[in-house]
Amino acid sequence: MTRASVEVQVTRGDDGTVRVAGPGIGPDFTRAVLDVAGAVLTWPVLEDPVPPSAEIHDVARAQQWLWAVYGEGVAVAVQACATGELSDVRVPADMTPLAGGAARLGFGHWAARWWPASYLDGIPALQPDVLGLELVALTHECQQLFDDERDQPDDCVGELIGDHQVALDPLLQWWHATPPSTDTARRLERVLRAVDDAADSTESDGEALRRLRWSLAQPRPDSAPVAVDPVALFVRHDDYALAAGEPLVAGGRVIARGAGTNDWRRYPPGFVDAAETAVSWTARALGARRQIEVEVVAHIAAPTTSGPLLVAEVGVDGVRASRVPLARRDDVWSGRGDLDLSAGETRPRIEIGVLLPGFDPGPEPEGGADRDAIRALVRRRLATAAQPIASNTAAYEGSSGPFLAEIAAATADEDY
Amino acid sequence: MVIDGAWRALGPDLESLSGPGGAPLTRTVKLIVLPLIVRPALHPDFAVDFLAPEPAARLDALIRESGARLVATAQWFTLLKRTRRALGVVAGHPQDLYFQRCFELAAEHGEPAAGAGALARAVVEEVADADGGRTVDALKRYLADAAQQARLEGELAVAWEGRLSVPAADTAAAVALAGEVLEACGGAEGPRNSPSYMSMVEAGHGELLGRALWAHASGVWGRGDLPAHLGLTKRQLPPRPEVGRGASTATLPAPLDRTLFERLFVVLQSSARREELPTVPELVGREVGRSCAPLGLYDESLRVAVLLGGQLAVGLDPLGIEEPAPWHTAAHRAVNSRWRREASVLRARRMTVSPRPDPDGGVLDALAQDLRTPWTAYMRRLWVRLHGRDVRDAPLVDAASAWAVLDGVARSVMMDHRARVRSALRTLSASAAPTAVPEAAVVAEAAESRSA
Repeated sequence: MTRASVEVQVTRGDDGTVRVAGPGIGPDFTRAVLDVAGAVLTWPVLEDPVPPSAEIHDVARAQQWLWAVYGEGVAVAVQACATGELSDVRVPADMTPLAGGAARLGFGHWAARWWPASYLDGIPALQPDVLGLELVALTHECQQLFDDERDQPDDCVGELIGDHQVALDPLLQWWHATPPSTDTARRLERVLRAVDDAADSTESDGEALRRLRWSLAQPRPDSAPVAVDPVALFVRHDDYALAAGEPLVAGGRVIARGAGTNDWRRYPPGFVDAAETAVSWTARALGARRQIEVEVVAHIAAPTTSGPLLVAEVGVDGVRASRVPLARRDDVWSGRGDLDLSAGETRPRIEIGVLLPGFDPGPEPEGGADRDAIRALVRRRLATAAQPIASNTAAYEGSSGPFLAEIAAATADEDY
Repeated sequence: MVIDGAWRALGPDLESLSGPGGAPLTRTVKLIVLPLIVRPALHPDFAVDFLAPEPAARLDALIRESGARLVATAQWFTLLKRTRRALGVVAGHPQDLYFQRCFELAAEHGEPAAGAGALARAVVEEVADADGGRTVDALKRYLADAAQQARLEGELAVAWEGRLSVPAADTAAAVALAGEVLEACGGAEGPRNSPSYMSMVEAGHGELLGRALWAHASGVWGRGDLPAHLGLTKRQLPPRPEVGRGASTATLPAPLDRTLFERLFVVLQSSARREELPTVPELVGREVGRSCAPLGLYDESLRVAVLLGGQLAVGLDPLGIEEPAPWHTAAHRAVNSRWRREASVLRARRMTVSPRPDPDGGVLDALAQDLRTPWTAYMRRLWVRLHGRDVRDAPLVDAASAWAVLDGVARSVMMDHRARVRSALRTLSASAAPTAVPEAAVVAEAAESRSA
């Protein structure tokens, strides 16, 4: 059962919480988190699989899973910290199957929110419904992490099934079209069976679920599988091609142009292309007037809106000056506003950030290096997902191995 | 851990009671193994987090002895689930509904044999019909009659006029005591029982608050800008309740503005343990008096819980932007630290709301606005939960049980917030023009009296 052993530090805080500290943690978008019974688990997505950090606010509830995630030594140490016998101790933790499952579930939730899909970078988006159904299966497999207290939003099998059941039929087709000896087929079957099983406990019902139930009860059709392109089953957004937007203003003299900051934290997923170069601006002089145009490349699946939704925050020479509302035109969010520059100002230092009002938690220090690291991580994962995996490997049994949504996305890669 | 080991040793025939990894399901442990096999009340040495080797061995033996019965339980559960599917029943969680029944069936009949199908069908139907006519439909029929309506309106008028109209006394002492109780509740060592709680109940401090609401008192909470009712009514004074004949979950008014129908609708909507409720005519009859009682509640311990909840709610800081005030108690610190944890999870899940009012408003700003006045959502949920207890004659007998409710409501308010952010973001991403944020909080309210 035990694969490896690492040491973790268990400490007691002044407020009675007990912490199991793993490695250090970077910006928000590099953390995978999971709300479980009595605690929050955290993994750094940029590092190799490790036991999670835990902030345990209810030790009694957490004891139902602590030993199964970290091994008995950590469970005992946490108990000792909770009762005050110890306040700070280092103990070896096991890498258990439940720790692997939890890490995978945490990563799946992370991917649903932060996957840096980008047309400019050639990183395909993950199909949200395929990912959602795999999260159903993983949540079901990690049931031991959750209890009945109704305060664990990640124990959300019912909502996930409700939101993503449109992918059930395509997943069934994909499964039937995949040679049964492959890992992908096994993974598909495992996900579908777990969804069926999980649906029982959640008052979920519907045509797609009944078809799933029926299909799983039948023997697999033994005709030779017809090759099916998984991508074609899920495509929702056709014909994304980066059309250069119409120029907003004709005329004027360009006095400066540059790139802005694309801070993923300041707007929700699915709005802006995740590339570092997605935000750009042009400053123009029209007589004595100074204007700025901002263009932001839209996310592959961004909503088409009639009105402005995002805004660009414009800073001049270190002062946050104004906001420019951005409206969607073709594949670009764009807008223009007056710039308060003295006529003599020839080399203004202009900073542009894009944000969704009401969502924006505020600007934070530069995170460019971490964003690059995330892009490199998903490129590696997609490259792995594109490789057909040899049969009879245990890859899918543990926490490693690509998600089905990654396999589907990686197969679609040629389009980018 | 011992349970897990003993369980796995019983072999693969327990599949329907086990999780995908072979461990017993959380509900198997909670509904079958602990209450029906281990019975910690009979074996106090099992009721600890870590067992010594000797009790561990006994526990292991106890579970293994029940092996045959557990295997039969598992088979009954599989059969009941299949029967439920065949009958098209989807309400409720099958494990909650059937686990204990299956254990009983296994004791009585052993493994399912001939005739088991009919038996299973009878159990599934019986469980599904257990509400005994205590339904929203029955309430609707009962109140549809015009004469009935007129009679109830008359009774309400008399009861409302007959309220004891003594002038509201000073609430400062009551609020100070509430602070003491809350200080005792939220500590790191878990809730301590505070004698102040019982003295508040005996002194009728909850009733005092209820009368202060009728008298339009202000300054109750030590902050001049907050009304005494903290949003329990939208008006200055709670109005006389009406009978009403319909309700919609999406548009339920503030608790004290609700009609008789609306108050009982919320109680009846919850599906669990409906058979424990009074019958519909009895429910309606008692609600007349209750709705005209201080805070719309009969039981004084529940009214004191409103007072405690108010004192807790006015010190909540979900956005983490306020300085802790000197009057904040251990309970405030406990709940506010949970909000900080939640904020950190929401940042990691890319589900933020701007902590400061945004100049451009934005659809999410309404959610942030609710977080700036957290007492409204808190009091609304708390009242529904307490009302559910009042209807079921379930007083809060000590400070620890009061704290369990207050704390549970604080968690629900937080869960509501996350659900609303999620649904607002989904609406934004899915549709073109920004639309109103769905009121997940209101929908969730129907679940309240269930958890009472």
